[in-house]
Amino acid sequence: MNLGLRAQERLRLTFIYICCAIVLIWALAPIYWVAVSSISTRQELYAAPYKIWFPTQPTLDSYRTIFSTGAKFRSGGFSPTAELMSSGLRNSVIISVASSTIVTILATGAGYVFARMNFRGKNFIFLLIMLMLPLPIWVSLIALFFLMSELELVDTLVGIILIFVTLLLPLSVWMMTTFVRDIPGEIQDAARVDGAGRWRLVYSIILPLARPGMVAVFLVAMLWSWNNFLIPLIFSRSNDSQPLTIVLTLFIGQYEVAWEDMSAAAVVTMLPPFIMALFFQRYLVRGLTMGAVK
Amino acid sequence: MKLTNVFRNLFSADNTFVFIILLPIVLLIAIFIYYPAVDTFQTSLTNENLRIRRPPKFIGADNYVKLVEDDEFWEVTGRSFVVVGLTLPLELAVAFSIAMLLNQRFPGRGMMRTLTILPWMLPPVVNGFLWGWLLNGEYGALNGLLYQFGLIDEYQYWLRAPETQILWVAVVQTWTRYAFPTIILLAGLQGIPDDLYDAAKVDGSNAWSRVRYITFPLLLPSFGIALVVEFIAAFQIFDVVWTLTAGGSAGGAINPFTKTLMLYNYELVFRDLRVGLGAAFSYIVLVMSLAVGLIFVLRVYNQGVHDK
Repeated sequence: MNLGLRAQERLRLTFIYICCAIVLIWALAPIYWVAVSSISTRQELYAAPYKIWFPTQPTLDSYRTIFSTGAKFRSGGFSPTAELMSSGLRNSVIISVASSTIVTILATGAGYVFARMNFRGKNFIFLLIMLMLPLPIWVSLIALFFLMSELELVDTLVGIILIFVTLLLPLSVWMMTTFVRDIPGEIQDAARVDGAGRWRLVYSIILPLARPGMVAVFLVAMLWSWNNFLIPLIFSRSNDSQPLTIVLTLFIGQYEVAWEDMSAAAVVTMLPPFIMALFFQRYLVRGLTMGAVK
Repeated sequence: MKLTNVFRNLFSADNTFVFIILLPIVLLIAIFIYYPAVDTFQTSLTNENLRIRRPPKFIGADNYVKLVEDDEFWEVTGRSFVVVGLTLPLELAVAFSIAMLLNQRFPGRGMMRTLTILPWMLPPVVNGFLWGWLLNGEYGALNGLLYQFGLIDEYQYWLRAPETQILWVAVVQTWTRYAFPTIILLAGLQGIPDDLYDAAKVDGSNAWSRVRYITFPLLLPSFGIALVVEFIAAFQIFDVVWTLTAGGSAGGAINPFTKTLMLYNYELVFRDLRVGLGAAFSYIVLVMSLAVGLIFVLRVYNQGVHDK
């Protein structure tokens, strides 16, 4: 059978779109279901054996519940869920914004120094930072916990931010170093000849040129620190410093099984990364693959 | 060189600049990473246990010996390798298929790529929760779907049997991570020149042999990177297990059937408070990760060289 070119192309596209549909179901179905669960009424959500895939009476009650009234404990009493959710949201925002801002500033300076200057011990310090990458975190975590207790930084936002900044350093410094290296050197040389000092040079020439790199570092740091779970699991004790990832697991363990409320909490927890992934994916992918992909 | 010159060099504008920029970074890394790492190693040589009130005593390599002779240590290690063994083939197969698809030209490819990568960007603890809810035995969506298509007669408790728990951990880990190897393989695919395929077509080779003799060999380096990174990710899995099957969130015991290396380490140190033992364990994991990472890299690269 000899198909015309157009028919052949149409067949090819049909096949491709069928494959796309399968991939999208695999990638998005769990996300779709939790979103639906969070806006379903109790009756519809617990319908069985026939599930209701599109809620007929969508409602935001679950969101209202987790942010206002407090959920039931297993033992019957009420717990201050609202308090947990709002403090979790607050802590997550403070921790991720502060860590990302600090690490972006530190990494930009370091990126310039490593890419453009020569000094004794440069390779050694660079290696010291990069060696953290393959190091399994537990090797440091155990003693770090006791160190943080002595410094009275356990269960504080400052403590978690300091650890996040440190853990983000290798990736961020690496990203900024490669980025600054790609900025043409002639402009800087001209500024040097004109007698601009290092600080002046970085401030007025490197910073504007390095802005896309800084945005990428900031976004990757935001995503990483928002999603992190292990560090606050160990270093947070109360709602003074517990971010949303921790609050979510407390819900799962502590409360009566109220899947619609837990789904709402899960949606709140994953919404910022979800939005970032939709709108800033190019930056994030470049950073998270460590330049393996341009 | 005169002493004054040395001083002038030491405190030159450039050196001061470097010093001020790098000092906070070096301090942070020294205080929060390297000092604790050394301290953990020292702890691993003591019998420190916070349950028992006694000053820690130096016991040499006893912790390491105790761990290696302990059955639970080998169980946990074996389980981590099972997770790795289930996850890596599944994940790379999924990633390779999706990369092949995204390497085609079709309208909407950019959007498709964006949506495909989404799960990777979400918090892994949330992913564990999402799938736990999906697989729920009483009200789960998977049950509903299979029932509606007539594939099951009654709702199943997917996470009940120990063996299936490990299987689902691997599936959820795959769902969490497949985007990374997809991106790496896609980049590799896009680096293969079209002429090669055209030449093979002219020679009359079929689609399968083109994949077998052109795509696979040329993708080996990409597979290598993906394998190493994903090996480490699966070997040190923690968040996903925590919300999917660990059942340890409210201070209860950690589910023994999905207790992998990192969960065991957490349990040793922060539940059982056997700090010395946990410290020794973390160093054993360090050696295992590095060793296996190296073996993988060498093997994949050697194969790439010899097969050509």
